[in-house]
Parts: sequence; C-alpha cells; structure tokens
Amino acid sequence: MSGHKTGVTYGRDEWAQWGIALVLFAAVPLLGKKYFVSMGNEILVMGLFAMGFNLLYGVTGMLSFGQAAYYGVGAYTVGLLLSKGVAPFWVALPATMVVGGTLALVLGPLCIRLSGVYFTMLTLAFAEMVWGIVFKWYDFTGGDNGIQGIPMPEVLRDPLRYYYFTLAVAFVSFWMIRRIVASPFGAVLQSIRENPERTGFIGVKVRRYQLAAMVLSGVFAALAGGLFAGYQHSIHPDMLHWTKSGEVILMSILGGASSFFGPLMGAAVIVFIEDMIGKYTEFWEIWIGGIMLAIVIFFPRGVIGTFDTWITRWRDHGKHAGTAARP
Amino acid sequence: MDGSLLVAQLISGLTSAMTLFLVASGLTLIFGVVNVFNFAHGSFYLLGAYFAYQVVAVSGVNFWAGVLLAALGAGAAGMLMEYFFLRRIYGRAGEAGFQILLTYSFILILDDVVKLVWGTDYKSISKPEILSGPFSFGEVTMPRYDLVVIVIGLAVAFGMWAAIKKTRFGRNLRAISSNREMASSLGVNVPLTLSLVFGLATALGGLSGALSAPVRTVTPGAGIEVIIGSLIVVVIGGLGNFWGALVGALVIGEVTAFGILFLPQWAILFSYAVMALVLIFRPEGLLMKRGAVR
Amino acid sequence: MRKQGGKWQAMLAIGLVLVMGLAEVASAAEKIVIGALYPMTGRAGRYGIDSVSAAEIAMNEINAKGGVNGRMIDIIFNDSKANPAYSIKVAKRYITEDKVNFLMGVVSSAAGLAVTEVSKENKVIFVGTDHASTALTTEKFQPYYFRVSNNTYQSAAAAALYAKDKKEWKKYYVIGPDYEYGHRTWEDFWMLLGKKRTDVTLVGQAWPKLFEPDYTPYITAILNAKPDVLVTTFWGGDTVAFIKQALPYKLFDKMKFYNYDAGGNYELLEAMPTGLPKGLVLSARHHLNWPDTKQNRDFVANFKAKTGRYPSYAAEGAYAGVYFIAEGVRQAGTAEDPDKLVAAMENLKLKLPEDPEGFTSYMRPIDHQIVQVQAIGETVPNKKFPPATMMLGNWRVFKAEEIIPSVAEIEAARKAVKK
Repeated sequence: MSGHKTGVTYGRDEWAQWGIALVLFAAVPLLGKKYFVSMGNEILVMGLFAMGFNLLYGVTGMLSFGQAAYYGVGAYTVGLLLSKGVAPFWVALPATMVVGGTLALVLGPLCIRLSGVYFTMLTLAFAEMVWGIVFKWYDFTGGDNGIQGIPMPEVLRDPLRYYYFTLAVAFVSFWMIRRIVASPFGAVLQSIRENPERTGFIGVKVRRYQLAAMVLSGVFAALAGGLFAGYQHSIHPDMLHWTKSGEVILMSILGGASSFFGPLMGAAVIVFIEDMIGKYTEFWEIWIGGIMLAIVIFFPRGVIGTFDTWITRWRDHGKHAGTAARP
Repeated sequence: MDGSLLVAQLISGLTSAMTLFLVASGLTLIFGVVNVFNFAHGSFYLLGAYFAYQVVAVSGVNFWAGVLLAALGAGAAGMLMEYFFLRRIYGRAGEAGFQILLTYSFILILDDVVKLVWGTDYKSISKPEILSGPFSFGEVTMPRYDLVVIVIGLAVAFGMWAAIKKTRFGRNLRAISSNREMASSLGVNVPLTLSLVFGLATALGGLSGALSAPVRTVTPGAGIEVIIGSLIVVVIGGLGNFWGALVGALVIGEVTAFGILFLPQWAILFSYAVMALVLIFRPEGLLMKRGAVR
Repeated sequence: MRKQGGKWQAMLAIGLVLVMGLAEVASAAEKIVIGALYPMTGRAGRYGIDSVSAAEIAMNEINAKGGVNGRMIDIIFNDSKANPAYSIKVAKRYITEDKVNFLMGVVSSAAGLAVTEVSKENKVIFVGTDHASTALTTEKFQPYYFRVSNNTYQSAAAAALYAKDKKEWKKYYVIGPDYEYGHRTWEDFWMLLGKKRTDVTLVGQAWPKLFEPDYTPYITAILNAKPDVLVTTFWGGDTVAFIKQALPYKLFDKMKFYNYDAGGNYELLEAMPTGLPKGLVLSARHHLNWPDTKQNRDFVANFKAKTGRYPSYAAEGAYAGVYFIAEGVRQAGTAEDPDKLVAAMENLKLKLPEDPEGFTSYMRPIDHQIVQVQAIGETVPNKKFPPATMMLGNWRVFKAEEIIPSVAEIEAARKAVKK
C-alpha cells in the first residue's frame, strides 16, 4: 500500500498540513524555554535526515543501513572547513550537499549490485569503513576526539536565530523532497519499490534510478549533518557510527515510512523520548529497547500510520460496515 | 624474519580465527535459513558468558558442564525471542527494517538485563586447571585452552556440516532456506524448524561466549564488539554460507596476525580493507557463486 | 497521503508540546546545584556508577555538616553515554533548564572536550573528575575548566622517573588501544624517558582497536620481539583480557609488564582473583591501600558500606570534585559569580584521600590542573580487599612537583597550537 501521492495538484488538506507543521515549529520559541528551542532544532535536523532516508526507504524500497556515513561526512565538511578557516559557513553548508552526493556516487554503484538484505549489509559495511577512516585519521579529522568549538558566523551564533535558519532550510528541503516524490521521477521510484523486475521490463533503467535515489538521500543526509555541526559546534566520529544509521531507520518506521511527514514525526518522538527517559533513569536502554520492541510488534505502520488507520476505521464504521479499511 | 615467528603468528592467527568462526557461525546460520540478520547475536554471546559465570563460578558446577548449560541457556533465550517476537514480523511488508529494529531493541534490553542482574563489575571464570598452561610441540608454544577451542571449533564446523547434509533436520533447513512456502507444503513443520534453528544459532553464540569468558572480560557492553567482527567475517565468506564463515574467519585471523608483524600501526584497518576488497570485487562473498544473489 | 493525516499529525504534535511543558518542574533557588555527567552504560559504566555513588557520599557528608555557608548541595546525574553530542545536549539542558551552578564529570576525553566548550560559551565552571586528556589543560584550556584528577602527563612523568632508575630496562615494546588516549599516554612517557636515558630502544609497537577482544596474535609478536619491558596503555576490561590471554604464554616471566596510568585500578585486581601474576608494575589515579591515612581508609570504608563493593579509582575523583566545588564556593562566598569562583578555585588547596601524610593536593592557576603525588607499585599478595587477592605494594612515590609540566612548557604548547 502506497501512501505517497503522485500528481501535481495539492489539495487543501495538504496545504493545511504544511501550514500546521510550519506554524507549530515556528511557535516553539514562543514557549519561552531555550531547552525547547534546542530540542526543536535537533528534531528538525534529525527530521531532515530521516526524510532524506525515507526517500530511499519508504519511496524506493531500499533499506540502507549506512546513511550515517553521509550525515557524518556532511557534518565533517562543515566542521573541517570552518575550524581550519578554509571556507565560511555559507559556502560549507551547500558544500555538504556536493560532498554527500559525491560519496553516494562512489559507494552507491558498489552497493546497488546486490539487493535486499545483501544491499543493506553492504551499506553497513561501507559506512563502517568510512567511520574507520574518520576515526583513524587523527591529523586531519581529529580522530576519536572529534573537533570542538567550530566557529560559526556572528549572525548565526544566537541559538534562536540558528533555529529559524534550520527551520527554513529544513522546510525548503521538505518541499523539495515532496516535489521529487510527486514528480514522474518519484513515480518511477515508487514502482521500483513495488516491483523492480516489472519496472525493468517496461524499459526503465532501474539501477540508474536507484543510484539517483541514493544520491538524493545522501545529499539531504549530508545537509542535515552540516546543520547539526552548525548547531552543536562540534563533530565526532560517533556521527558516522552504525547506531546513527539505526536511529534514522527507527524514526522513519516509527513515524510511518509510507506517510510523508511520518519520519519527521518519528524524529520528534524519538528525540523527545530519549531526552525524557535519559533524565530519569540510568536504565534507559531497557526502556528505549522496550518502546522500540512495542512499536515494531504493535505499530507496523508506524505510530502515525496506525492512528490514521484507526481513525479511518472509526470514521467509516457507520458508512461502510463490513468493508472498512483493513490493516 | 625467522621461521618460528611466522609459525607462531600462523598459529595465533588460527586461534583468533576459530574463536571468530564460533561467534560468526551462529549469525550466518540464522541468516541462511531464517533470512534474518540477528544484530543481537552479540548479546547472546554475552548471555552465554554470564550464564557460564553464574553456573561455574557462583554455583560451582564443572566447567564443561557449565559451558554446555550456558550454551543451552542462550539457545533457549534465542528461541523465546524468535517465538514471541521475531515470528510476528515474518512476511510483513518492509520486514527487513523491522528485523533491524527488533534485533537492535534486544541488544538494548539484554544489555540492561545483564547489568541489572549481575552489575557492572568484571566477572571471571577460571579455566579448568589442566588447561591453564601451555602446550608445546617443537619450538612452538600455544595455550592448551586455545588448542581445545580450536578443536571445538572444528568439531562444530564438521558437526554442522554433517547435520545439514545427512539429517532430516538438515534437509528441512535446506528446504526452508530455498523456499519457505514450498517446504511447508511438502510437510516440513516450518515454524518449529525456524525456532530450532534460531535456538541452535544463539546456542552457538552462547557457546562462544561461554568459552571466551575465561580469557576475556565479562561486562555489560561486551556484546557489541563481537557483532561488527562477525559481520565482517560473514560478509567476506558470504551471508548464509556456513563454510564461508570459516573461510572468512581464517582470512581475517591470518591477515591480522601477519599484518601486525609488518604494519603494526594499521592493525585496526586490516579487516576493513579485506572486507572492502571483497565487497568491491565479489560482493556476494568469497564462497558464493558469482551472481548468486543479484 | 491520507486526508485525515494532517489533522492527526498536528494534534499529536500539539499534544507533545503540551506534555513537554507540563513535564518541567521549577528548580529550587537556594541550593548549590551541580550537573553531573557520567557514563552509566557501556564499557565505562563501572566508572560512572562508582563516581555517582562517591559524589553522593561527598554531598551527604557536606550537607550533614550544614552545607556550604548554609546552602545545601544538590547533584543531578545523567548518563553521558560516553557520547560527545549527547553530553553537549545534556550539559546545555543542565544550564538552561536546571540552572546548575557547576558542571562535573565525564570519563571520556572526547566528551570532556565537548563539554568544556559548553562550559566556555556559557561561563559555567566545569570540574573534570576523570578524563585524562592533557589537551584540556593545555591547547584547549579555558578558564572555567578545572580538573581534580591527574592527567596522562603526570602518570607518564612519574613512570619515566620510575623507569629511569631501572638500568635493566633497555628494550621497550608498547601495545595500547588505537585512539588518542592510548597513544598520548605512551608518547608522553617515551618523550620524557628519552630525556633521561639514551640507551633505551623501542623494539616494537602494536595498536589494536579499543575493546579488541582477542590479543593472541599480538602476544606472539611481542614474545618474538623479546623486550625487557612491555608498556601497555590499556584500561578496564582490555587490560584484564590481555593479561588473561598472555598468561599461558608465560609472558610475565619473560618481561616486565608496565601499565602506569590505569593498569592498577581496583576493578582489574577484582576481576582476577586467581591467576594474576606477581610483579606487574602498575599505577592508578587512586589506590585503595595507599596512602594508609585515616582519610583514605574512611573513604574506602564508607564507599564499601554504601555500595557493597570497593571503589574503582574514578570514585575518588568524583568525591574530590564535589569537595572542590564546595570549598570553592566557601572561599569565594558565592556560587553564582563564575569569575570570583575561578579566582578562588585556581589557588585552592584540598586534602584528599589520595594525599599522603604531609602533602595536600593543590590547584595550579596556569592550567587548572590539580597537582598530586603519584605512586607506582607492583602486584603483591594482599587479601584485605576481597574479592581481589592481590593489591599493589613495593611502592615508589613521586613528588607532585616533579611530575608536572613547567609553566614554560605549557605556554609553549599553547603557542604551538595557535600557529
């Protein structure tokens, strides 16, 4: 079941959705707590990362376990360029997209040669190697200490300003992703997800589209990484670790990989939960693990997806008893 | 560089390889038959170590009985995980994603369970007294315990091969890994077999954990480090290919052992380099037929 | 996209925001609040959990005596996960939400480097209680940072003094975890030893990855190189695993095993109640059985009474951290003015459990690094701290002033980084 719309007309409901999301995020600072702004900033960055990932996973059906490589590389692009004084932030941030895309162009063809779980394992393996290089190359990347105190331009040093900047970049990116999904290109990606063989039979060069999806996903992941580096002023090899790749998979699935804003919602929930639980107990692993387990077992379409189904069923209960939407 | 050094490295590489193989064998078995990459495999390794500690060091049971019990315990835990949780996601749309999340959630949960039950101190078991010394043949010395582990590793390899080739159970496994539905319609009790395989694989993981307990550190968090090493071995040999795991382990063990001699600064990158080469030139793994899984 | 999706997502988001708001509780104004970050999960978990217990002991002791100038101390703890990004997040939350007066802790140097930036940006004093990277007091120094445990330079300097007199130690081999701490701890030692002895050579080196489970191929290479001394810069479980794996090769009969920064920590002695060889030359940042002063004995006994086990060395660091903060507030007369606090704290003297008779640890203004005595010993049988059956003994003690970098060296190091 595909939840992504194709076709270029946007209904009123969709404008409403975008409007509400934008307003909500824009309103966060009005709550008056710096802590919420921080959290909101992190949600937007991870949300962008997750939406980019979902372009690959939910839309094209390719489960990559190595997106952290692009995220990390994006963060390091900003971190290294700024801390070594080579380029200002305004150059470094767009540069992340170039670097992320290029890395995807290098690793992508190697990964696409296999499919299914093999593909997933390859993406993991390559991401581990990128991590290993960053970790080991102490002189260039700062190795396992990472790089701290990344100098940001004066105009973006205020956390509130940076929050609005991130909001703008994130929403523009979301809009771009939406356009991509709704375009004929996006339609091909979705049909590749449904059935790569058949799509190949009708003359589509499947591998090329898959590579394109990887490149786009890498671009957004790297952009997210760059934004994070600008937010925390710090980069560390942990950003390339496979657990980061796992986080973004979790966010997409939790929010619902087949709904457009699902990954963003998933990011919000995960960032919030991790923070809350970490505050109250040292045994956060069993709580987070338990929640993940519950989500996997009970919410196969993500929390959002499942709520949507319940609502639909409830609404249609009177109208179409007996033929209400099935999970 | 003299001959005895090379022989010594060869042997120590072999020792490393056998312990790697023992850990990785369970992982590749699950993948081959059940089509699940069990990220939590390292956690069953750790459970095996802790069970062995509990039974041998705390309750005073004989070492080998303790190791066996630990393996069985880990196997039982694995079967529970499969039966109550993994089973629910077979055949789901997007199953692979859920597999990753589910097995990853178990890593987190088991890590805290182990911490809650046993605390954060480093636990210790002693090897059996007769195995605590060295074994020499000619100029070469190696720990007796390691020799026994190598023998066990080889026994496991041959045992598994024999079981898969010659027994009914093995035939069922092969049937299920080619085509689950077909196997079911031919009368194989697929759910039971899947649970058993899972249990067998996690028992292997637990066995390797229990065997490692006297020579490594038993502490929460020690499970994660074996998963990436196993991943590398399994990817090199071919996912799901049992002999591939042995070959992969040997390659990694020996490359590391000799790499240390010539390029000691770069030891940690050797296994990654080998994995990179395999992934670029033979992504399905060294022992799989070319193009088998495209 | 389902038509109802938008409304649902909106409502969920609003709900989240409301819950976040309701979940916040106003914090008390009169207490001195310390925000502590320690790893409570993962391989460094033991150090974090011991630090938490020790910090609580210190807090209770101080509050029982009426607090500091009438103000009670309150400590908030959070897992650092040894993750710099997460530590930054928590540190910022401590500052903006919990309004902490001080930050304290971290075991991982990477996390320490990250939190010191937060401390600098927000002018909140950060007291380091365990991480050892010398960078925090040299290149990355910022005035709001203080460290109350010794750094790798101090351990290495003591180690070099110890090794200098060992005429039979000529051929060295080093093995350690392949990351900054592992390398730096060795490099500092080798550089300092090189200044005192010209007849020492390095016959080999090996750098397995951190948490490497299997050292067998490294052991055979080391045996073949036949060094007089094997320097190892492992910590925690890696040291235990290495020793366990090297035992059957009789490595310890053939060379001296020298681990001068973290090798002698109690959790290692506890992990090997049988089989630990005699004569391993080790040190740690705190010893249970040295110095044999009342303060040290009481500290160890209180910790054991509270937790049921003996402390790893990180505990004494955390204990020192809380006392350091308390004393700083007492002398500065405020917990809110960071600059007054810095002025008071950089000249502070503090008698700690690890101080031998006649010596008091003190803070150095130039680098905010605490100056302490270092003792190096050998493993000898000692059953006073079960389950360990060996402890360190045959001590050699090194004066605090002999093991710190001179002011000139520090300034040179800082200048070198500025380029």
